[in-house]
Amino acid sequence: MTSLLHRVKSNLAIFAHRKARGALDGEYGSVFRGRSLDFDDLRAYVPGDEVRDIDWKATARHGSPLIRRYVAVRRQTLVLVTDTGRNMAAAARSGETKKDIAVMALGVMGYLAHRHGDVVGLVSGDAEGSTALPAKGGEAHLERLLRQVDSAATLDAAPSRIEDQLEHVARTVKGRNLLFVVADEVPAGPATSELLRRLRAQHEVLWLTVRDADLAPADPSLQPDRTAGDSYSVSGGYPLVAHLARDPAVAAAYASAVAERDTGRTTMLRKAGITEGEVAASQGVINALFALLERHRRAG
Amino acid sequence: MWWWLLPPAVLAACLAAWAALRPDRDRNVRRRPVAHADRLTLLPEYQAALRRHRRWLAVAVLACASLLVSTAVAAARPIDVATTRPEQHNRDIMLCLDTSGSMSSADAAVVDVFSQLAEEFDGERIGLTIFDSTAIQVFPLTDDYSYAREQLKLARDAFDGRPGSSGFLDGTWSGRGSSLIGDGLASCLNSFPAAPEQAGSLKPSTGQDPGSPPRSRSVILATDNFLSGEPIMTLVEAVAMAKDRAARVYALNPGDLDYGAGRDQPGAQLRAAAESTGGAYYALDDPQAAAGVVRGVEETEKSALRGSPRAVVTDEPGLPLGVALLSGLVLGVATWRLRP
Repeated sequence: MTSLLHRVKSNLAIFAHRKARGALDGEYGSVFRGRSLDFDDLRAYVPGDEVRDIDWKATARHGSPLIRRYVAVRRQTLVLVTDTGRNMAAAARSGETKKDIAVMALGVMGYLAHRHGDVVGLVSGDAEGSTALPAKGGEAHLERLLRQVDSAATLDAAPSRIEDQLEHVARTVKGRNLLFVVADEVPAGPATSELLRRLRAQHEVLWLTVRDADLAPADPSLQPDRTAGDSYSVSGGYPLVAHLARDPAVAAAYASAVAERDTGRTTMLRKAGITEGEVAASQGVINALFALLERHRRAG
Repeated sequence: MWWWLLPPAVLAACLAAWAALRPDRDRNVRRRPVAHADRLTLLPEYQAALRRHRRWLAVAVLACASLLVSTAVAAARPIDVATTRPEQHNRDIMLCLDTSGSMSSADAAVVDVFSQLAEEFDGERIGLTIFDSTAIQVFPLTDDYSYAREQLKLARDAFDGRPGSSGFLDGTWSGRGSSLIGDGLASCLNSFPAAPEQAGSLKPSTGQDPGSPPRSRSVILATDNFLSGEPIMTLVEAVAMAKDRAARVYALNPGDLDYGAGRDQPGAQLRAAAESTGGAYYALDDPQAAAGVVRGVEETEKSALRGSPRAVVTDEPGLPLGVALLSGLVLGVATWRLRP
């Protein structure tokens, strides 16, 4: 089995060649500020760094922007929260498995944290229970976390219930941490909203939504995976009749229901003060994370 | 007939149903798993579409089942066993008309009726013999009905006394007497084909093709039995001959001149003679009533000569094949509606 982290790194490398090298590191560092006042050294500015971290005097002497680095006295803890129920073994909008996209996103975020010197923990699970892996550093630990997600999210797993994992975090995780939640299209609800407010009061929360498969595409010819005809539900195994979903009335009703749900979820997260990003395919993970971090930094 | 086809057909249908309905572990292999399917399936629009789909599926299943059943039934060759009494069309009818002057109107009525009946005949043979003192065979037993009608028309004209038709009766009067009934009846009987193919005889005849059924014989004898002269054969001898040849004699007497009920009265004699052959005797007050009586005779003849009941076995593929065709059409429509 190829290393999951290796895949994450190669993805990052491709991205790094396309964008400015290290831009993501800069974004991460400015989002998750873990600095002390003890000056360590200077390094070159990379896009995404906080402007106020620029050492203007050194920059003037040097001729190019330099960033002040401090000795991190307090190691940040990044807690990855994800769903490993059977819903995550289902198809995403791109036709891939949602789990693969989630593993890629968790891996990128965890690797950024690792490079920043932070420790990474994991809370995952399904409706039957949550598994918490303690926060540690090191690539081997990160690989273990990703393996845990990858192996747990199968079609035989229990139904998904991300609220259970969030409650688990609220109950057991002490102190102020960084939460990175990867879930599918979670419906908005008063209980969830309350839970998110409670979490946001304690932690810094980033939310990444993996888009679900479009069950009734308005224009079937635009579907990326056109050969995939019929589908079946992961809960119960009953088949969906594809040509019924092709009915224009059904497709329109489904599209409006999806739009309504998306609006509800976005509103719920915004009200709770949580920045949300969404991703439909594993190729889009890094761009989506970049946009998410950028937005979160702007939001302050 | 091929009823044994049905159990194998039922067995095959059961096997097919079992194979179709048994839980298939790999049925979702070609499908992609999706989450939150209820977000689609609980939509009212999807439910309505699903109901339509299910209705057409049910129609298709029913049509398929009915197609299978009807074709299996058709393959088993359903038969209809009907008991029929075939009407005999192998009668020989000889009209034996006394042409003495008192009889002409009754003769005309009889001839008239038979010329009409000849239109409906199919297989019967009809002959006409007229007699007074001598018997003349106008035409022998024939199934050439147009010819028979032509001759019967001539006879009718003659009996009505139309001008120019008197030659028809030539030769019936030779001066030896009048209404020599015994001779006349004997002449009529002689115009039936010769024995051995008597009615009711089961022995295959040598002269005729052995497959043809025996033909019944009946004589319509119109006479007043008013004998004058010396016949060669008496009525009793002629009737014995009729019995010998298995011919029924139906006697029509338009002018019953009996006085009292004595056995020697002409009417009584004729009655006894006719009834002894298995026929009947009708005394008519009005010669014109002969028409109705002759029709009655014809009807009794027909029913009396019905053949023995026979079981007729016929294939009845029409209903199952019709149902199969209908089911096939319905199945086609349903499949067209269900196409993805």
